[in-house]
Amino acid sequence: MIPGRIHVVLALSYAALTAAPATAQLVSFATDIRPIFENSCWKCHGGSVQLSKLDLRSRDAALKGGQRGAAIVPGKADESRLYRVVASLEKPAMPLGGKLSADQIATIRRWIDQGAVWDGVPGAGAPNTSASLEEMAISPEARRYWAFQKPVRAPVPPASGDLTNPIDRFLEQARVERGLQRAPRADRITLLRRAYLDLIGLPPTPKETAAYLADESPNAWANLIDKLLASPHYGERWGRHWLDVARYADSNGYEHDFDRPNAWRYRDYVIRAFNQDTPYNTFLAEQIAGDEFDRVTDDSMIATGFLRSYAKVGYREKDNPQFRYEYLDDMIGTIGRGVLGLTVNCARCHNHKFDPISQKDYYKMQASLFGYVETDYPLAPKEVVEAHRQKNAELDAEIAPLQRRIRELEGPYRASLAQEKYKKYPANVQRAIAIPEDKRTPGEALLAGQVIRTTSVSSAEIDRVMTPADLAEKRALGQQIHALEDQRPKPLPLAAVVTDGDYRFTPDGPGDEPAPGKGVKQEAISGSFLFQGPGRYQAPPSYFLIRGDIESRGSLMKPGFIDVITYGNPPTELPPPDGRTSGRRRALAEWLGSPENPLTARVIVNRIWSHHFGQGIVSTLDNFGKMGAQPTHQALLDWLAVEFMSRGWSIKQMQRLIMTSEAYQMASQFDSLADAAKDPEDNYLWRFRLQRLDAESVRDVIMSAAGALDLTMFGPPVFPHLPSEITSSTTENVWRNEDDGPRVWRRSVYVYRKRGLVFPMFEVFDLPDQNSACGRRNVSTVPTQALTLLNDEFVLHQAKLFADRVKEAAPDDTAKQIDLAYRIAVSRPPRAEEAEIAARFLTTHSLADFTHVLFNLNEFLYVR
Amino acid sequence: MKQFWSRRNFLFQSGGGISGLALAYLLNQEGLLGAESEGACNAKAQGYNPYAPKKPHFAPRAKNVISLFMSGGVSHLDTFDPKPALVKYAGQPLSGKGEIVVRQGNPGPLMPSPFEFRKYGQCGMDVSEVFPTLARQVDDIAFLRSVYGSSNDHVQATYELNTGKIQMGLPCVGSWVTYGLGSENQSLPAFVVIYDHRGGPLGGPSNWSSGYMPAAYQATVFRSTGDPIIDLKPPASVSPEQQRDRLDLLAKLNEMDLKQYPGNSELAARISSYELAYRMQGCAPEAVDVSRESEATRKLYGLDDKITEPFGRQCIMARRLVERGVRFVQLYHGGLGQQNRDTWDAHDDVKENHTRHGAEVDLPMAGLLTDLKARGLLDTTLVVWHAEFGRMPISQKGVGRDHNPGTMTMWMAGAGIKGGQIIGASDEFGYKAERQPISIHDLHATMLHMLGIDHTRLTYLHNGRNMRLTDVYGDLIPQIVA
Repeated sequence: MIPGRIHVVLALSYAALTAAPATAQLVSFATDIRPIFENSCWKCHGGSVQLSKLDLRSRDAALKGGQRGAAIVPGKADESRLYRVVASLEKPAMPLGGKLSADQIATIRRWIDQGAVWDGVPGAGAPNTSASLEEMAISPEARRYWAFQKPVRAPVPPASGDLTNPIDRFLEQARVERGLQRAPRADRITLLRRAYLDLIGLPPTPKETAAYLADESPNAWANLIDKLLASPHYGERWGRHWLDVARYADSNGYEHDFDRPNAWRYRDYVIRAFNQDTPYNTFLAEQIAGDEFDRVTDDSMIATGFLRSYAKVGYREKDNPQFRYEYLDDMIGTIGRGVLGLTVNCARCHNHKFDPISQKDYYKMQASLFGYVETDYPLAPKEVVEAHRQKNAELDAEIAPLQRRIRELEGPYRASLAQEKYKKYPANVQRAIAIPEDKRTPGEALLAGQVIRTTSVSSAEIDRVMTPADLAEKRALGQQIHALEDQRPKPLPLAAVVTDGDYRFTPDGPGDEPAPGKGVKQEAISGSFLFQGPGRYQAPPSYFLIRGDIESRGSLMKPGFIDVITYGNPPTELPPPDGRTSGRRRALAEWLGSPENPLTARVIVNRIWSHHFGQGIVSTLDNFGKMGAQPTHQALLDWLAVEFMSRGWSIKQMQRLIMTSEAYQMASQFDSLADAAKDPEDNYLWRFRLQRLDAESVRDVIMSAAGALDLTMFGPPVFPHLPSEITSSTTENVWRNEDDGPRVWRRSVYVYRKRGLVFPMFEVFDLPDQNSACGRRNVSTVPTQALTLLNDEFVLHQAKLFADRVKEAAPDDTAKQIDLAYRIAVSRPPRAEEAEIAARFLTTHSLADFTHVLFNLNEFLYVR
Repeated sequence: MKQFWSRRNFLFQSGGGISGLALAYLLNQEGLLGAESEGACNAKAQGYNPYAPKKPHFAPRAKNVISLFMSGGVSHLDTFDPKPALVKYAGQPLSGKGEIVVRQGNPGPLMPSPFEFRKYGQCGMDVSEVFPTLARQVDDIAFLRSVYGSSNDHVQATYELNTGKIQMGLPCVGSWVTYGLGSENQSLPAFVVIYDHRGGPLGGPSNWSSGYMPAAYQATVFRSTGDPIIDLKPPASVSPEQQRDRLDLLAKLNEMDLKQYPGNSELAARISSYELAYRMQGCAPEAVDVSRESEATRKLYGLDDKITEPFGRQCIMARRLVERGVRFVQLYHGGLGQQNRDTWDAHDDVKENHTRHGAEVDLPMAGLLTDLKARGLLDTTLVVWHAEFGRMPISQKGVGRDHNPGTMTMWMAGAGIKGGQIIGASDEFGYKAERQPISIHDLHATMLHMLGIDHTRLTYLHNGRNMRLTDVYGDLIPQIVA
């Protein structure tokens, strides 16, 4: 049933056996083995690289072997690692990513069995392949791919009919070519609701609806858009789209899933940036290099939180130097997919398989980021920070001798209590400890050492056995320390930022103390975590890593960019005048935000388009490469990209342009079944696409309809109530559970994002995984969504509040109540038939039964 | 055929025609009790949803999987992989193996197992006194003694066992299977996790997440007592009649609305999802209602003893779920709390720890295998048992053992697995996998194969790349089937 290996192995053994009589015929290294080595082994175990420290260029080196021991045991193929790995008898099977033919494997076997004779000059001519490993030629054809050309402003197609907005003219041309008929305009109420939900993520109130309908001026629509773009809630909605790209969360992830107490400042920065309409290229520069600006601001520092929003182990980091490379990979992946629409991180271990992105491009980009370190930045004027630091230093200096004295007092007690503690260990451990250190066997030394080194005695334990005099002295010292501690200045507000430094001197975080003999602390270097001067900051060296293996260093890397999309000769370092950082990230940000970059503007206008229309012109928002979708309207995309740059990279201006198009104002119904047959996916926009509300909006519109939503902006995250059954599934109870009530009825963008525990209501409504950049969310329709909206206590409570609110406004008048409930929930009065059904329902049911049903209406849950 | 594996399938849509059915169902006055009847709970797929059954690549041996995950790390040396060398060299340092990497503190000397081993079954398998009951079924079990992982941290290792990688946020094997095969039963979730009554495993819900795939493919957590699913039923303040009336009104209003969008399958699917949800309310509690089991069966799983009752309950629920067509059931034993006491994480004292946890799972696991076999379910159910790593041959502070991803023993049974055999071997001390080392990718490739899925062909397009559970790796374990 299972094909393969066992048969192959048997066949091989059989071949080897039958070949035995032929052993007279010696295998020649030069003619039989060498070509195999050349093609399949020396690339990684040859002149330029010796992965696993194995060098196969000479017999001596092969006998010596690498990290995993000898590669060849002459005369014994079965015991030779070389044979075993090529024959897949042992992992990892070699060569990686390929397999030798059965003949080749049999030849190697015979050759080793014959003694592995290495005729010819050892290693002679084994090619130095480092250049061929690191360089990649880009074919002219690959360079010609549309997304790598700078966008040009295509001529707007001639006007047809009443269409004046250039967007409509591009779209109409594509429709006409396909014989598609554009849907008529949607009615005003539908459009009003669409604009509200789209731009601020909240429905219009009945009052706002009435006011809009009363405004019959030709500019009513344009004015509405301006009003909504100016709303402070706009940033809460559109900032959230960017936070998906930024893989933002309030916790670290992994085992400890530590809280990130200041992460929310970055979230608030994003909301502010959208509200202020910060030019997109500035927005990027702040997030990637805000610390490198000539003049930094609090916001430019907070913005760098973008870089460190990755999931982080956050524990034993020093013992695991590879973690840092994962974080760098995450940054490269996020910038690649998020900003450039390219899967740059596919080039970590080899050249990109589909796009002309070389592994060297990857490591150039890694070098651009390599100086980064994570640190806290006090949000206060310099003088305040300095005074704060000084005061703390003074207190530390006063406290230190007092603590020293306490330790002296405790010393003898600590030693004798430790002796007591050893007694709770098993007999073998106690025996080993009892033996004098120099008399212990190696095994006893291990046993004793394990316990002695890790036994700790607490201060409280010591207190219990101290003499009254010693205890009194210790207490007095403790009181002095306490009094001094009371003088500490209030902690300054901090932002979690990134700046240049030397990661090898990162202070230990919780649980980070490296085990003896491990970690990068061992490197014989001197330096400091943050740059202290004098002179200019130098980034620590980074290397081309063969196969992405951190032990297999190739050339020292200089910072740089993706070759195929780099025009001209942009600088790769733009250090600030005082030289406190390398300026590499600033140069990267300049390159990303330059009009010379063919992708940045295209990718962001496509994101904006997608959030308005439910699908991008390139439907794979994060991938403009060969494996991504091709644009449905490339000329339009390019026109928009150029327009965007010429309008100062203003997102709001693009939105105004898009939303005033006829395309945005089309109805969403299937008016033309013929069109539905020709273009069922609506790729050519002959109607507006229905869009289900995203997870955050579902919760927000429910609270909004109930009149319960607290619109307070910004600040630390809130923790809506979760049942204990859910909190118990997760590590360390970081969810600071609060009761369901007004305190937590804030907009969903302010709900705590815990990587290890996605807020269940969001999860059910397709919140993306919070660990990697995500441009377009999945939309699913599953019964658990229905269960949540039907049965969740929070939803039922909101339905009750909704009913109370309606009753208060229209006491004792069922018809009025129905009317108002409809206007609140779906922005329109009920149709006659609906009103009749509702009235009949309310003769036997409560108003809360009815408002609960409204929360479940398709019309309530969709932008249409 | 190609359709089944393509991305298009995720649109969860088909032509219209469903809403009428949904409406008919909702207006049907059968009510909750009606939903509990056999027929209603074995609903077949209607062809539009993410769980619609899909054809495998080739004839499968297994239709369902029960995964038994022992959280904390079981010592292979004290259960299924006896090492005489540990007795011979007791108290000496472990040498000749390069740098000894421990998770906590410093390495101790070699430590023999404090447990007795005996031979069981026709095959004469060595099993320690930790699993005396399960030991009687060794002839149905294949033991894999050379499985290795890549992390000695609980969370990363647990992620690796579930997703093939130590990183957070990737789809787990249960999600891949659900994506690949859908479910036979549309009234229950396709992929269910039941974790220990003491709490979830380290790493939490990311262990059963669908990562970059649609959320529909993640596991639904069933609680082992009370209503199995959060929000399954309305709170006490809402009566069943009230709920049914709300659903009737909702269906009416949604149907009227749908007339404006003729043929819109997404809106129709949402209407229909309420029907599914309603059915699930009746079917899910029934599916895990162990009170419906006979006294003898309950006893078989140890429900009459308070030590074996919690895991016994999990096991019996698992059998009831696979019986009803749930594709993938994963049980965790050992949960949050005090790690040394409440999981298999025997740093302090392996004898005390493994005696305790062995007693909790031994009888229930044996009961599960016996029961599956008696009902003919074992032929089509793959049972997989493992922890996140093995433990060290050297001691920690005299009587404990530290983490060891270098080798572990896991076992598989059912679905044509050739029982009574040992596959692979660890080195003489049980420190590293030595003969036929088996990676987690190999394990996953083999599990998928048993389900009729070619692991190289089950792909999901993400960020421009056809992702696989096994990445670019994975070899089948050839001798595992008869």
